[in-house]
Amino acid sequence: MVPCIQARDISLTFKPKNRDPVTALKELTLDVAKGEFVSLVGPSGCGKSTFLNVLLGLLKPDGGEIRLNGKQITGPGQERAMVFQEFGLLPWRTVLANVELGLELKGVQASVRRERAMELIKMAGLAGFASHYPHELSGGMKQRVGLARALVTDPEVLLMDEPFAALDAQTRDLMQLELLQIWDRTKKTVVFVTHSIEEAAYLSDRVIVISARPGRAKDVMKIALPRPRDYEMRLSAEFNDIKARIWASLKEELVTK
Amino acid sequence: MTGLTSFYREKEAYLLGIGFIVFLLALWQCVPLLITLPRGYALFFTTPSRIAATFYRLLVEGQIQEHFYVSVAAFLSGLGIAIAVGLPFGIVMGRSRTLDALSDPYVTALNATPRLVWLPLFILWFGIGIWSKVMIVFVGAVFPLLINTYAGVKNVDRVLVNVVRSFGANEWQVMKVVVLPNSLPYIIVGLRLAIGRAILGVVVGEFFGSSKGLGFMIASAASNYKVDVVFAGVAIFMGLSLILTLSVKKLENSLARWRPEAAKNF
Amino acid sequence: MGLKEKYHEYHRPILGMASVIGLILLWELTLTYLIPVDPFFFTKPSLIGTAFREQLFGERLWRDLAISSRAFIWGFSLSVIVGIPLGAVMGWRRRVEYTLDPLLTALYASPLVALAPLLIIFFGVGLLGKAVLVFLLAVFPFIFNTSAGVKSADPLLINVVRSFGGKELDLYLKVILPGTFPYIVAGTRLAIGRGLVGIIVGEFYAASEGIGFAIQNYGDTYRLPDMFVGIIVLSAIAVALTELLRKAELMVAPWRAGEEIR
Ligand SMILES: Nc1ncnc2c1ncn2[C@@H]1O[C@H](COP(=O)(O)OP(=O)(O)OP(=O)(O)O)[C@@H](O)[C@H]1O
Ligand SMILES: [Mg+2]
Repeated sequence: MVPCIQARDISLTFKPKNRDPVTALKELTLDVAKGEFVSLVGPSGCGKSTFLNVLLGLLKPDGGEIRLNGKQITGPGQERAMVFQEFGLLPWRTVLANVELGLELKGVQASVRRERAMELIKMAGLAGFASHYPHELSGGMKQRVGLARALVTDPEVLLMDEPFAALDAQTRDLMQLELLQIWDRTKKTVVFVTHSIEEAAYLSDRVIVISARPGRAKDVMKIALPRPRDYEMRLSAEFNDIKARIWASLKEELVTK
Repeated sequence: MTGLTSFYREKEAYLLGIGFIVFLLALWQCVPLLITLPRGYALFFTTPSRIAATFYRLLVEGQIQEHFYVSVAAFLSGLGIAIAVGLPFGIVMGRSRTLDALSDPYVTALNATPRLVWLPLFILWFGIGIWSKVMIVFVGAVFPLLINTYAGVKNVDRVLVNVVRSFGANEWQVMKVVVLPNSLPYIIVGLRLAIGRAILGVVVGEFFGSSKGLGFMIASAASNYKVDVVFAGVAIFMGLSLILTLSVKKLENSLARWRPEAAKNF
Repeated sequence: MGLKEKYHEYHRPILGMASVIGLILLWELTLTYLIPVDPFFFTKPSLIGTAFREQLFGERLWRDLAISSRAFIWGFSLSVIVGIPLGAVMGWRRRVEYTLDPLLTALYASPLVALAPLLIIFFGVGLLGKAVLVFLLAVFPFIFNTSAGVKSADPLLINVVRSFGGKELDLYLKVILPGTFPYIVAGTRLAIGRGLVGIIVGEFYAASEGIGFAIQNYGDTYRLPDMFVGIIVLSAIAVALTELLRKAELMVAPWRAGEEIR
């Protein structure tokens, strides 16, 4: 296994003005291999988003070390990109301009970035919507834009913070399938945060259960289901076993706090 | 017949609205025919047709143009300075909590008090002429611009800032890509309010601190009981306000393309 | 430790106060030691303070305030009495709105103070002229905000009340009035600002008494400290009224606090 992400004893305490400090992460340690699909599950407020922001380089941990391909993470970089839960699309930009964002900020020439963005828009199944504004799209389409935008700089690591939480059940199933196909094609390393045990089990190579705040990696479960996965697998007894195991581990965190 | 009713249905709003204005003007025109005014009042009375005739005469004589240019010059310079000062200050106040706190008492106090109270001081400092007018236009117009820019900057979505940062954007790029576009609708609302305040400043500034301009024309006509000249001047100010306000409204609506509920204003 | 937290909690008012005190000191010291200037064109806080004390115990300031307030209250009350019912009818009856809206919008957008010289000549320099000017400026926020409030009444709520057998009166009292109230409060704040403009222009123009006249008169006679006292008193009143209404707005409609644009 070639390590891609190595997090060692990451601690982070928020010290908001006029309020008590909150320790969101405490000595969190985990590894993600190159090309691996890892999901993080854990109770609400346990620090999952915080950890992703540390990975992204937007937050600096107070203690511990976090490395990407052996190099310390000190800030945002183009090897990583995030898909945000609330989509995070710029409402005054068209789909095309939203997807282009990463390239634009890198100073890529307009014609080149346009071509690349159109490619991804097509891949995301949004051909014909390039000049629409976000408020003219459905939730599923917005998240496709979010995905296309994250992929446009061809990052090595894809960070996803509850990307499908705002979608209805059918759209969600569809997006999961598409994500698996993209992952299969591009061999990206994915760190995926979700509240759905089912989603975690279905998509991941490994599921990491994070404890209640302050967050630590409490349990790591390998999901031994074969790839490529399909919808029918979710009906198997094996799949139910896996879900039960994750649930058992997660439940303790929910009741103790 | 049915064609006519359906035409009425379709255009009811316009027909009623415009119809009412026409009706009022016609009524006004007919007052002298309907009642005989006492002699004292007749002096103050005029009719739309007389106002129009006077307007035309002043236009031909070139009087209106002369005053108009003076007023417009004061309006544009005052508004221009207000934009040049209000936008940067609004942005800085929106981004820096400390500067915000330091300037808050002044902004609140100056904004709550009609800025016209400063006119006597400006006249004392700058004398009668363009500069006291420009200053009063400026202090009137700067606050709506500043406060709305500030609101637009303040109300930027944290998530969007994070999105842009996550692509490695620096402070300046965050500004250009997120903060400014987000503030634009607010700034335009501010501009619309500022135009109204600026025109108010021109009018009042010229009443008291000028010997030229449309406001001066109105004031001196009033003291000579030339009521139709007063109304002609008022009509120009009304027309100017309407044209400018409606154009900015258009601009506001065009921004609504990406913003389904356009910025509200009170 | 505790001090530091206190500072965080009150950092806005503390910084605000510090900046006001700092500016006053800077102003005073500059004019006293650095550049002693012509007292006819500049003044300094200590002189304003002295003038303030004198005026506070004098008679004129209070008389001026009483005279201005009277005209303001008359004009303002009239604009409430006319504006709110007119706005309510406009919001409730579509045809009335169609008929009046273009005219009123045009008048609202125009600088009606341009009519001041005429109104003053017509109604006189006293109470009446000023009150009419205040009315003319202050009535529009009441009309438009009341109308917007009535129109904002939720059709769903209207149907709910009707479905429970509510009468027309119930509709007014239980749905429309509560929904309209926050709009009227917001309109009142705007109307106060415009009404003050009316008073000041009216008194600048031809009055011989009132706070606006006093400010202008002190300016004409180069009595700068006294002029500043007038401005400060007027500002204090304006800030108090505006902040009071802002608080009221938050109280009657906390949900609108976020979307406010002044
Ligand atoms: N900017 C911040 N300032 C102060 N506290 C914060 C901040 N961001 C997060 N926190 C706190 O840190 C803790 C962890 O937050 P985080 O958003 O990482 O949780 P999460 O696991 O993503 O929760 P959820 O599943 O609900 O999204 C929470 O208690 C939260 O209140
Ligand atoms: Mg989260």
